[in-house]
Amino acid sequence: MSDVTNSDTTSHLGEAAEPGETMIELQELTKRFPGQEAPAVDRLSLKIPKGEIVVFVGPSGCGKTTSLKMINRIIEPSSGHIIIDNEDVTTIDPNQLRRRIGYVIQQIGLFPHMRIGDNVATVPNLLGWDKERTRERVDELLDVVGLDPRTYRERFPRELSGGQRQRVGVARALAADPPVLLMDEPFGAIDPITRNRLQNEFLRLQGELQKTIAFVTHDIDEAIKMGDRIAILQEGAKLAQFATPEEILTNPANEFVQDFVGTGATLKRLKLTRVREVELTDDALTGREDEDRETLRRRLAESDWTAMLLLDREERPIRWLRTPDLRQQQRPLTEAGLPARAIVEPQATLSDALEEMLLGSAGVAIVTDGRGRFQGLLDVDDIILAIQTMRDTEAEFYRAAKLSDPDDEVSA
Amino acid sequence: MAFLEYLSDPSTQRELISQTLDHIYLTAVPVAIAVVLGLGLGILAHRSPQLRSPILSVVSTLLTIPSLALFAIMIPIIGIGAGPAIVALTLYALLPIVRNTVSGLFSVDNAVIESAKGMGMSATKRLWKIELPNAWPVMLAGIRVATLLTVGIAAIAALVGGPGLGQEIFTGIRRIPASGSLESLLGGTLFIILLAVLFDLLYLAIGRVTIPRGIRE
Repeated sequence: MSDVTNSDTTSHLGEAAEPGETMIELQELTKRFPGQEAPAVDRLSLKIPKGEIVVFVGPSGCGKTTSLKMINRIIEPSSGHIIIDNEDVTTIDPNQLRRRIGYVIQQIGLFPHMRIGDNVATVPNLLGWDKERTRERVDELLDVVGLDPRTYRERFPRELSGGQRQRVGVARALAADPPVLLMDEPFGAIDPITRNRLQNEFLRLQGELQKTIAFVTHDIDEAIKMGDRIAILQEGAKLAQFATPEEILTNPANEFVQDFVGTGATLKRLKLTRVREVELTDDALTGREDEDRETLRRRLAESDWTAMLLLDREERPIRWLRTPDLRQQQRPLTEAGLPARAIVEPQATLSDALEEMLLGSAGVAIVTDGRGRFQGLLDVDDIILAIQTMRDTEAEFYRAAKLSDPDDEVSA
Repeated sequence: MAFLEYLSDPSTQRELISQTLDHIYLTAVPVAIAVVLGLGLGILAHRSPQLRSPILSVVSTLLTIPSLALFAIMIPIIGIGAGPAIVALTLYALLPIVRNTVSGLFSVDNAVIESAKGMGMSATKRLWKIELPNAWPVMLAGIRVATLLTVGIAAIAALVGGPGLGQEIFTGIRRIPASGSLESLLGGTLFIILLAVLFDLLYLAIGRVTIPRGIRE
């Protein structure tokens, strides 16, 4: 790895550009289905570094799902090897193997006759955990995916919405804390708004869990958003390009990749930068709902701000207030002014933030942490600035990379 | 109202009740055997594509044999009485059970089975913990149809000397047009209908208890 690749353009690229230990390795993995002349997957070799999300993306029929399902041998490979954590698992007992790999599929496949708690407890039960430990783990996981265990543990899958079921699916896959997760279009069947939220939540979760994840999608936008690396597959699971999202957007390996990535690469790049990576306006003027109107009004008058953000007792933003809103006495503060819209979390992408601003007709997005507490503001100018910096550093980066080391991964 | 007089005669009552108990026996035993055989055959037919169509054609063909003929065929093989009736009724009860077991197992969502597999459940565990519980409502419906079918056909067992309410019906038929013949015929029939209704209610209760709440209608 040359110094150039290590140079930190954005933290996203910096993390991914230096692969650590390999967690999953596919060696010449091949699948021939009976009665089909061409192999569905033809000698696919790939290394997935520990703690990264590698997204398999490609047109339908390219063999991406077949490739994924060979990793836990739901589909048995015709030839080749699968190495997980330095162990050749190609011929070990598939059930033992699968208990060490979390598996999430598009249709989720919750067991409809079992309660949510029992669904999540599936693998711990298979592994023979005692009741107390399983129960604690189930509650912990439901909490992690944002479902209150007391409310949801005893429910049945059909009593949940699509988004909630998908959360349970993720909780179930994580139950025995497997180092590896396989996800086959996990957010594919969910409406766009919920999908976006689930993607962001999942990325936040992954930030904590650092699992090694193989992720299949047909949606290049999702691949760019979710992947530390993207494997773009052509027919027969031929690897058209295997690189970071940045490089695929800036430097597509061939015409196939270029076509697949499509137009609007600059806009797509907004999906690469997360809100937490740009500098927020954190000196915004705020007031608390339990403060006195007059105090708030004076503070606003003394500042150069035209509005102040009202926070509730938990520091969650609720209203935007201007001077007239603070003068009137009829309505309580929590109903005065304008509602605080366009709220995003730090792991949301700039694209998400921009979209929220457009949707909320606000020139500014409010950034909150995982618990909804106010962290800062992000306005349109910040986004424009971020685009400019991104372009400049990238151009510099790739120029340098090409000059210094033509054999480097970046240009491979 | 000759029929009410017939029903209020204590000896008739004793007779009808004893025949009803026989009829329950003649229904329950074949159905129980058919459930064991039928679930086995159904699971086999679901698992093995090669065996599926032979199994289904054989059990379908069985049901097309006229019941009178099947009972008659049993006489030279097993003799007369409850034995041949039980064998014949078991064969009839097979079709609904086997067919519903197969279609019940096929109705289980593939995603459910794949996720069970993906979590490392063995084939046996998948069958018992996932496939059968989810196929159960359809399977139970098959068992219910088989039971009602058996209640009806069991009446004909009286022709081969079998016990049950068929005896009362055939007593009536043989004595036509003598007085009381119509009453016997109606009495036997009425009790068979009542029995069918009771079995139906029983299955409703069994469904309540055994179908997991998450998949109940």
